[in-house]
Parts: sequence; structure tokens; C-alpha cells
Amino acid sequence: MNIIFREKDIPNIREFDVYVKHDGYKAFEKALRMKPIDVINEVKASNLRGRGGAGFPTGVKWSFIPQSEPIKYVVVNADESETGTFKDRQIMENNPHQLIEGALIAAWAIQATAVYIYLRGEFWDIAHALDKHIEDARQAGYVGENIKGSGWSCEVYTHLGAGAYICGEESALLNSLEGKLGQPRVRPPFPAQKGGGLYSEPTVVNNVETLANVPFIIMNGADEYKKIGTEQSTGTKIFCVSGHVNNPGNFEFPMGEITFRQLIFDHAGGIPDGKQIKAILPSGGSGPIVPATDEILDTPLTYEDLQKHGTILGSASIIILDETVDITWAASKMTKFFKHESCGKCTPCREGTYWLDKVLDRILRGEGKPSDVDLINNIAANMQGVTLCALGDFAANPILATIKHFPNDFMAHVGGELKAAGD
Amino acid sequence: MNIIRGFMTTFKHLSEEPVTLQYPEQVRPFQVRFKGRHHLRRYENGLEKCIGCALCAAACPADAIWVEAAENTDEARYSPGERYAKTYEINMLRCIFCGYCEDACPTQAIELGHEHQLSFTDRRDAIYTKDMLIDPVPEGGQDTPQQVEPGVFTRSIPVMPDAK
Amino acid sequence: MSDKVKIIIDDIEYEVPAGSNLVDMAKWYADNDIPVFCYHPKMEPVGMCRMCLVEQGSIVKDRETGEVVLDENGNPQVRWFPKLQTACTQIVHDGMVIRTNTEAVKAARENVVEFLLTSHPLDCPICDKGGECPLQNLTMAHGPGTSRMNYDDKMHLDKHVPLGDLIFLDEERCIQCARCIRFQDEIVGDDVLAFHERGRKLQIITNSDPGFDTYFSGNTTDICPVGALTTADFRFGARPWELTEVPSICPHDAAGSNISLSVRLDRDFGGRAMIKRVMPRQNEYVNEIWISDKTRFGHHFTRSEDRLKKPMIKKGGVLTEATWDEAIRFVVDALKAADGSVAAIAGSSTPNEDLWTLRKLVEGLGGGLLGAWTPTHAGADLVAQVGVGKGTNLGDLGQGDAVLIIATDLEEEVPIWRLRLKQAADRGAYLVVANARKTRMDDFASDTVRYDYGQAAHAMQNLDAAIAKKLKEANNLIIVAGAEGLTLDGSRALMQAAANFLIESGHIGKPNNGLLSPFPGANGMGLHYMGFSPEATLQIMQNPPKLLIVNQAELLADDPFAAEWLNKVETIISLNLFPDAVSNMAAAALPIQSFAERDGTFTNGERRVQRFYMAQGPMGEALPAWQVFSQLSEALGQGHAKLSAAAVMKEITENVEAFAGMRYKELARVERQFPDVGGEDLYYGGTAYQNKGGLGVQIETSADKGEAVSVGEVKLPDSPKPKKGQVLVVPVAQLFNRQSTFKPSVLVHPRVPQPYVEINSKDAARMNIKTGDLVEVMMADQIRVTVQAHVNGGAPEGAAVLPRYLTDEATPMVLTVGEIKKV
Repeated sequence: MNIIFREKDIPNIREFDVYVKHDGYKAFEKALRMKPIDVINEVKASNLRGRGGAGFPTGVKWSFIPQSEPIKYVVVNADESETGTFKDRQIMENNPHQLIEGALIAAWAIQATAVYIYLRGEFWDIAHALDKHIEDARQAGYVGENIKGSGWSCEVYTHLGAGAYICGEESALLNSLEGKLGQPRVRPPFPAQKGGGLYSEPTVVNNVETLANVPFIIMNGADEYKKIGTEQSTGTKIFCVSGHVNNPGNFEFPMGEITFRQLIFDHAGGIPDGKQIKAILPSGGSGPIVPATDEILDTPLTYEDLQKHGTILGSASIIILDETVDITWAASKMTKFFKHESCGKCTPCREGTYWLDKVLDRILRGEGKPSDVDLINNIAANMQGVTLCALGDFAANPILATIKHFPNDFMAHVGGELKAAGD
Repeated sequence: MNIIRGFMTTFKHLSEEPVTLQYPEQVRPFQVRFKGRHHLRRYENGLEKCIGCALCAAACPADAIWVEAAENTDEARYSPGERYAKTYEINMLRCIFCGYCEDACPTQAIELGHEHQLSFTDRRDAIYTKDMLIDPVPEGGQDTPQQVEPGVFTRSIPVMPDAK
Repeated sequence: MSDKVKIIIDDIEYEVPAGSNLVDMAKWYADNDIPVFCYHPKMEPVGMCRMCLVEQGSIVKDRETGEVVLDENGNPQVRWFPKLQTACTQIVHDGMVIRTNTEAVKAARENVVEFLLTSHPLDCPICDKGGECPLQNLTMAHGPGTSRMNYDDKMHLDKHVPLGDLIFLDEERCIQCARCIRFQDEIVGDDVLAFHERGRKLQIITNSDPGFDTYFSGNTTDICPVGALTTADFRFGARPWELTEVPSICPHDAAGSNISLSVRLDRDFGGRAMIKRVMPRQNEYVNEIWISDKTRFGHHFTRSEDRLKKPMIKKGGVLTEATWDEAIRFVVDALKAADGSVAAIAGSSTPNEDLWTLRKLVEGLGGGLLGAWTPTHAGADLVAQVGVGKGTNLGDLGQGDAVLIIATDLEEEVPIWRLRLKQAADRGAYLVVANARKTRMDDFASDTVRYDYGQAAHAMQNLDAAIAKKLKEANNLIIVAGAEGLTLDGSRALMQAAANFLIESGHIGKPNNGLLSPFPGANGMGLHYMGFSPEATLQIMQNPPKLLIVNQAELLADDPFAAEWLNKVETIISLNLFPDAVSNMAAAALPIQSFAERDGTFTNGERRVQRFYMAQGPMGEALPAWQVFSQLSEALGQGHAKLSAAAVMKEITENVEAFAGMRYKELARVERQFPDVGGEDLYYGGTAYQNKGGLGVQIETSADKGEAVSVGEVKLPDSPKPKKGQVLVVPVAQLFNRQSTFKPSVLVHPRVPQPYVEINSKDAARMNIKTGDLVEVMMADQIRVTVQAHVNGGAPEGAAVLPRYLTDEATPMVLTVGEIKKV
């Protein structure tokens, strides 16, 4: 079932005419006939959760916006930079109007004055294409002054970042959008509050995939949407599968309908060369790694089920590691990523990632001692829960979870005693 | 009888070597740990170890040390790093040779040696200046200030061989 | 701030003002030093360093009844946050509960210190901050005892990065707290610093050319919680524990910034006490904890080798060295010979004690005229009547208040006022800047007013109705009126017009309301209270006396026309720090001590009388001027000489009504100031110094006392009119200049501009002059200077703006008609 990837059913839906022919912008027109508050309530009722990683209910987020403020913004987070994520790219390349429509519905719901689509710097080609699609929508009267006679005006802009992971964090994104250094802000005030959002105005920041879900909800109603997926994880989710699989790619499924095993072996083509699967990173580098045990493999892919296993669905960027992977090397690789991407604003993340990287290098060079494993475990633990934004927690995950689940991979490097997994 | 016993002690000592030394012709050997007059040490290349931090002066219980620091340049370099002692003076009349300065020194620049023949006919002579305290330039080394290539001495306390 | 809320810190309840910051409140009320690096009470919190983590919760109240929910033991139930919170980003609210002494908090603090130290070079022995370093202190208090970081893994960065000519950055020591960046951005408004790169490579850079281009750069070294920023002045000058802090007052401008002179004995200064650095001293009424770079780096004149060191008297037509006894006798004879035709001119940085003893000396001789130098700024008498009310604090101005700045370039004249008024504008005060040209203050103004040079008083009387209405209706209104582009008459007219405006709108006689003027020098208001006036100076010029005493006033360096009338004076007795053109003409040139070598008081522009203390060993045989005058009086049989500055001040308090009760003891009174920065614990303010020398006492205005005020009739003077081909040459202030009291500060020389003149682009086009061309400016048909032309929009059409004290030649003190020719 494809709610988002409709191009699989309808070729060339990226073109405005084709999109309109297949009920495109009908949901937006319907929304314009509704009261903004009803639009928010509909999305709230659908229990749509943010697809960017945190899984926060979208309608609730919209309802935080103070209606009395004259200037409000919708910002589309298209800074898709989580390792192993490539879903937003496909949406924007193949079904861009659904994103634009979703963003416009969000803008109507909070009565925003402008929509900014913040794309990561590498998406310059997509930004150019989006500009053309926005222009098409404008020509048809869906963007700009007095949209469809509603008396409400809203502009849609694209903006390119400069290539920083941290700019996917909403407040760092807002800073970057304002032309400042991409560093997270202190909260409160939250983006939805006066003083906390873009140019200090109340702002809703939503992921691309989240907004692409909105037209369906408005068009078919929350009840129809809730029929898809589980009670707590409604709708479909795009799973980005990469790593040691034969057929990597994006797969859209209703949440809870399939398990890791089905996704990896039935859809992603299994592990190459008949090797064994060793571990799964369910949410790129930022989510805790899990060993590919039968219990994990048979877990349905929902927010709540993964949480039970001590990990997160996040943005569902699933990276598969086969038996040949040295988890210590993988931890080092992920740490290098976070060290490179740490913005440097707050101490534990800036210094911790640097330190972790140095110790991991030492371990990989074979110069580590068993105590070094305890050291990195402790450093990572000290980074957690004390940083300004979530990156500090993310950066600690690769260490904490790898040591927890794969202690022997570390011990092999430092000549320590082998332990039973899970200790 | 008792008187003989008494004289026994006297005669015994008569036959013993005298404990007195004919100082200054004869010099008594020193313990390694003896604390005499201070030396300011150099590295093998002739650079001064003292960085002018004045921790010795801070540690000195007799307020005998006076340090004034200045900034090194690559054109005129006295010590590695950025700072060196422009003025370094010890008032030997005040000094109690406790060795706290040695303990406080982060670069082991100041060491108490074995020289102990410190007598002065003028109070002012008791103030030992840097010229008097610093070791001679080791063989193969160069006197300070040295002109060095830029970017070589960027660390305050580098790993460099000591003068022998 | 009148509303109070109840918060609980470590199980003890405190009542604190609503809306205030938790860290500040914990320090102020609970004496609980929540450790911080990035938080500074003068700046917005950013929560970057994570050092201030505390356990935070709030007392649970029943949603419906609003009653506090109790647990089984009958204590209020507390809902705790799951994670530790940064205290610095918390605004106190009713029912807030924090814990700062739990294991979790202790562990978090230890971890943050450990993280910070992993990248810190630990070169404390050679660090200028070592010994007064918040990082050292917090490491001792909260840090781990041992290091788990492999020393070889430390990141090595550049340790010697000049951010500008005055400030150096050590990239390794920097802990990325952004205090310097935020200071420049939030407090100064010169956002010349920024972060570059990210992660562990995050570094401070300057994005201005020349680097760190601001008048306030030195403050960043004070608030830096580590030794990352150091000044070119103090670099390796001494260890902090070797320094003695001597309270003092900035001798350069009307703000009267409270400073602390850090002194130490020095071989190069003959083993005498020498100023090693100048640090701010907290006075929330005057300069908070900020000082300008001129205040900080402009102290070298006090021990310049060019100082006059011995008394000189004229023997056989030649100035020769003499002993003080000889000199006193010589001067006494000269004074007696003058037959009562004696007058005195005192410079604007002459301390009150000197002014008083000089006045007594002149009056004792039956002479009269007491002139204030430079005679450019009139209206000190009006400030004494309707000046800012007693208790004024520019830091209180904000929403609902208004400030009008007219005919002055505060950035160049009184930078601390500019800094504080900029912040007032940020807090919401309505700021109007009126001038004939664009000044820096325009950048922060809500409205700007332009008028033609010479027309300031007219502009003041004819403000745009909408602007005037807003000013009049403001809760509080302060008018800062200068004398740029005005003659002395014009300056008086402007001050009168401003005073009238304030009186009409009722903004007098209460704190944060009234008139301010950026008088040149440190004691412009003191001159007035001691009876010296610029009008008297003009009379002296027109009618030169037989004998003229010139104290700390470089008449010929300031005024090219002074020689004309000075030649008519038979005997000049000159007292100055430096030998200058006047002392060369004088019958006796007597060396006097600078502010650093003696005790004394200055009265600042806000009429606050403030004490400074002896800090440095004297230069040569120089004496404080009050002592010279006092001895002369004694030799003339006018009673015993005073033996101390305190005794002189006692006499002043008995004779000058405004100074009643201002004994030295009173001036030295201090009280605890909020926020509690500085102090020996070097807690969150960096190294700003606790005020131990006194907050000073502000003189009441006539309006404060409820007395009648009289402004006098406003006479709008004619201003000089340039003919065709001529321009008005307007002298303006330049903070960094080549005045004798600033020129010896060699390290600032790269920042002193080459002599230049600002020409309007239209005039420049007419005269075919481009930026960078050398031009000759001829003023009043006789004064010529050759300077560079700047055509940068800095001058209105028909005017040429010529900064003072950049050229070696003296230029006119007030505006003149002149011509400009390309060389």
C-alpha cells in the first residue's frame, strides 16, 4: 500500500498535471473549506507521528502554535542527514507535490504566513526541481496571495543548508535558516512559542514524510487513516534498508504489518553470499544497535515494539550488518561520524566525541587495554542526558549499545576476557 | 682505679683520627641530597628551561626569589614556548635552602646544587642574578637568545633532551 | 521585579524576585555558587557549557483546587524532571525546587570538568589567568582528581593568534563558552567575533578588518573564564597573586569608570610599584564591569620618560632645573609681583583637590578669574541644576523610557555611556540621536534627526512633533547634549534648550531623568563646582592678566590661537605632567603627579564624586598639584599647608555646598552590588574586580532639592557661514588619538588613525578629491594641516569633519570656515 510513494502506482506523478489529475490538491482545497482548528483536530485524531525520528504526534505539535500571533511559519525539515536515510529524497524527487500540498495544509492549519523547505546542501538539484514544482502550484493558485479566494496568503520557499548533520535538529535548522551558525538553541522557548521559532515567531517544524502523509488524512479522514498500521503507530512508514542486503532501497509498509525478517529477507533480498546477519541498526547511527536474534527479527516494525527491545524506530533507516563486520570498527566509524558532525556548542558532546574517537582508534590499533572498553563505556554514559540537544545522546548510543550487545568484539581487540553477550 | 678508667677514655680518643677537617683546604664529601646554591638549567640545545612562571617565587617561604617574565619571539628565543624569565634573582641572604622552589618548578629548571661557599662583603652581592645562576651553554648548544625557525617551539613544556 | 516567588534550594525556602535567573538568585540569596562557565549575569544564558546542571522539579499542585499536594509524610510532593537541567537557563517560578548537592549533580559537574580538561593544555604556569582562573577554581572544587585522558591524545592548536593589535587568542585554552562573542554582539553591538568551524575544531575568529575592531575589546579578556584571551598590554606581565589592586578612576573621560590598577614592583621602573594592567572595578551605577580600551590601555602616560621630572624656573631667560624650595620661592615672588592681576586656567582632568587649592591660592591673592579648559562645552551650571537626578543608573533605562543624544559622538567621547545607552535601547528605551552627521549611535537609535552644523539648539527647540511627543511622554527622559560643531555660545544655547525641554516635560529632579553632557576630561563637572568656567577662560583670553597659572592644560596643543593672547601674559606658571609649549613659555614649569601617583577625587559627568588612590611610584620629583598650591599659599601667609588630600577634601566639604558630607570616608563606602560578579571567589563574572575603593557619592541637583531652576534666555548664536568654495571645518572627538596622555600608550598606536578629514561626496566631487588623497585643510585663513581625505559619507554637504588630536599641529577647538585643497 503506497500512500507516499504513489509514483509506484501512477507514473510521472511528480508532474503537476498528473498529480492534479489523481486528486492532487483536493485535500488542500478541502482543508481550505475547513476551519484551521478542525484541520488540526483531524490530524490529531489520526495520531500521525513525526517521521523524522522522534515520533512526536504531529497534530499536537500544531496545536501548540498560539493562534493570536500574526506571523507564523511552517518549516519543512528536508535536511535528511541521518546515516542510512534516503526516504525524503525519493519523496521530493518523485512525489514533490504531495509534500507541497501537505505543507500548505499545515500552513493553513496554523495560519502560517510562509513555508520554508530547508534542504541539506547536497540536495541542490532537488531544490531546483522543487522551485519549479512550487512555481507550477503557484500558477494554479495554490501558492501566493489570496490562495483560492480564501483571503489567506502563503509563500513557499526552498533553502539550502551547507551540509551539517546538526541542522536536522530543529532549532539548529532554524538558526541555519536565519543565516546563523547551525547550533541548537536553548529550549524553552520552543519553536512553537513566540521567541523560539524562525525569526522569533512561532514555527512548526515537520519532516518531509510526515507532511506527505497529511493530504491523505485530510482527504480520507482520520478514521480511514487509523485503519492503517497499529493503534499507536498509525499509517504507513517508509523503511530505508541499506548495508549488507541484496536489494537495498526504500520500502513503504503499514506499520506493524511486517517484521525485520520479512523486510530483510522477503523484500530487501536477504544477505549477500549467504552470510549470516549479525546486527541491525534500526535508526542509522543514532539509534542503539541490536543483535539480529530471532526475537528481534520477528519484531513487528512499530514505534512501540522496537522500544520494548531497547531501541527506536527513529527515521527507520535500517542498516544491516553481516557476520563479517567487526562491531568495534562499526562503533568507531559511527563515532567518527558524530565527532565530525558535533556542532561543538556544548561540552560533553564536543569533547566526548573527540575523546571516544581517540580511544577507539587506540583500541583498533591494538594498543588498547581492557580498561579502555570500560573507559569508553563510561565516557559515553557521561555524555548521555546532559547535552543541549539529542546529538549527544545519539553519539553515545553506538558505544553503549555495541558494548552491551557485542562485548566480545571489543575484548578481541584489547585481549580481555570474552563475555557472554548481554552482560 | 677509677682514675685509670677515666683516663682510658682520654687515651682511646688520643689514638683516634681527628673528626675536624682543615676547611677550606679539605672539603668534606657531600650527600647527593645536599641543598646548596641554585642553578638554572638548560636544555641540550642551549635553551633555558625556566619559563618565568614565578611558581618558585610563590612557593618561597623566605620571599627570596624575584622573577619578571617576558615573551619569547622566534627572533630572540630564550626558552621554548611563549614565556621566559627576563629577570631572575635570588637573594642568598634570605634563602633558607629549603628546596621548595625546586619542588614547585614545573620544568625542573631550578635545582639546588652543592655549592655552599656563599659569603658576601656587601649585602647587594648576595643577590644572585640570572647570569650568575644559569648553567653554561652545553657543548653543541647555542647561547640564548637564539634565532629559531618559526613554528618549531609551539609547546610550553616540550619533550627535549636535558643538557648533560 | 517587585513580585516575589518562593523557591526551594537544597531544602531551604527563599523568597526571590519573580522573573530573575536561578543562578543569580542562588548566588545572591542562598550563597550557593552553582558553577558556570558560559553563563554571565550580564548576558543572555545559552546553556552551552553544561556546568550548571542541577536537579530541578516543581511542587505539585492540584489542577482544580490549586492546593499543594502532600505526600504520605505531609511534605509537599515534588515532580522532578527526568534529566538534570541547566540552572542558567531557568527563570525562577513559584514552587521551583532545585537540588545542587546530590550525587547526580556532583557526578555531572565532575564529568563536565573532565570533558573540558581533555582539550585544555594545562599550561597554567605560563598562563596570565593562572591564579585567578574560573576553570582552575572549578576544577579544584568539582573536578576529578586524576586524568583518564591520554596526554598524547590532546588536540594541539595554535597558541598565539592575534585577534587584533590588542588581544591575543590561545586556541588551545579556549573552552568555547562564547562569552566574548556574546559580549561583542549583545552588549557592545560590534559583532566582530564569531565561531568558525564546528565540533572540536570550533574556534573564535574575528571577522573585522582591522581585527577585533571595537573600543571594548579588553573586556573580553576579563569575562573569559580561561586564559584564552589575553591583552597585549599585560601578556606575561606578572602573576595575578603578585599584584596589588589599587582602586582608581579613569582619567580620560566623563564617565568616570571605576578601575582597579594592578601594581607590582618592577626592575625596569627602578624597583618601584608600577601599573601592570588596568582592570574594571564593579560600580553598577557608573560602568558596571566594563571599561573602554582607552581606559584599559591608556595608562602608560603616567610613567612616560617624557614626563616633567624636576621643577624648572627661568634663570636669565632660560628654564633651568631647580629644587622645590627654590621653585616655591621663585613662584611666590612672581605671585607677589603680579599685584593681584592673577588668573588661573585648569585642565578638565584636574582633580577636585587641586582645583580647590588653586582657587584658594588665586582668591588669596585677590585675583579672580578661574578658567576651565578647554572652553568648548558650556552648561555645567545647567547640569548642576537639572542634571540627571540623584540615584540615576543608565542601566535601569528600558521600556517606556527615552534618551535623546544631541550634538555628540558618544562612541568617541564617552564610550561607556554609548555602551550603556545602546543596551538601554536594546531593553526597549526610545533612543533618538540628533547630529549633523551620522555617528555610531545612529545604529542603535529608534529615530535619528539631522540638522545643519551650528544649528543644534535650533534643532533641539524644533524637534519633529512626533519625536518630541514620544520624548515628553516617556516615563523617564535623559538628554545627552554635547558640543560637536558648536561654539561656546552655541553650546550654551543647546544646553539651555535641552534644559528647557526637560523642565517643560517635567523630566527633572528624579532619578533617570535630566541632563547629561560629555564634558571633555575626567573632571568637567568638578571644574564647575570649584568655580572654574569656560566663560572665565574667554575673559582671560580677551583680557590677559599679568600672571597666569596653568594647571594640566596644554593650551597651545589644544588651541592654535592661544599664542596670541598668551604672549600678552607677563608671567606664566605652568604645572603639567609633560613639558609642553606652555611650559616652554613659562617662568616656572612645575612637575605634578598624575592620577596614578596620588590620592584625589574626580566628579564625573553624572556628578558622582569618586575617589582614586595612590598606586604607582612618583615620576622624578613630581608633587601632587594640591600640595604645590597649598605650599604656595602657606608661603604667601595664607595659613598652614594641607598635609593630605583628605585634609583638602575636608576643607572642600566645609566650603563648597555641593560637596557637603563628602569626606573621604564617605566616598570610600561600598555596598554589595547585584549581580555579585567579581569578588575574591572569582565566581561567575570572570576577573572583574570587587569594588573596595568606594562607589562614590552623587551630588544632588537643584531640581533634586526642589530649588527653583533658572535656565536663562536662549540666544541662538550665528554660526560661521562658509562662502562659495569654502567649507565648515568641524572638529570632532576621536577616542584613540595622539594627545599627550594617550600617545605614550605605544601598543595602541596601530589603532590610532592617520590624520584624516571627512569630506562629503558632493564637495569631494566638486574639488576632485577621492578617498586616500592628501589634502591641505586651511582653517580661519591661517591654520594649515595636511591630512588624508575620506569620502565615506561621514560628513554632511558643506562640512569637513576633522578629528582632533590626530595631527601634530594644533587645530581649532571649535568650528571654523576653511578651504580644502588637494596636495
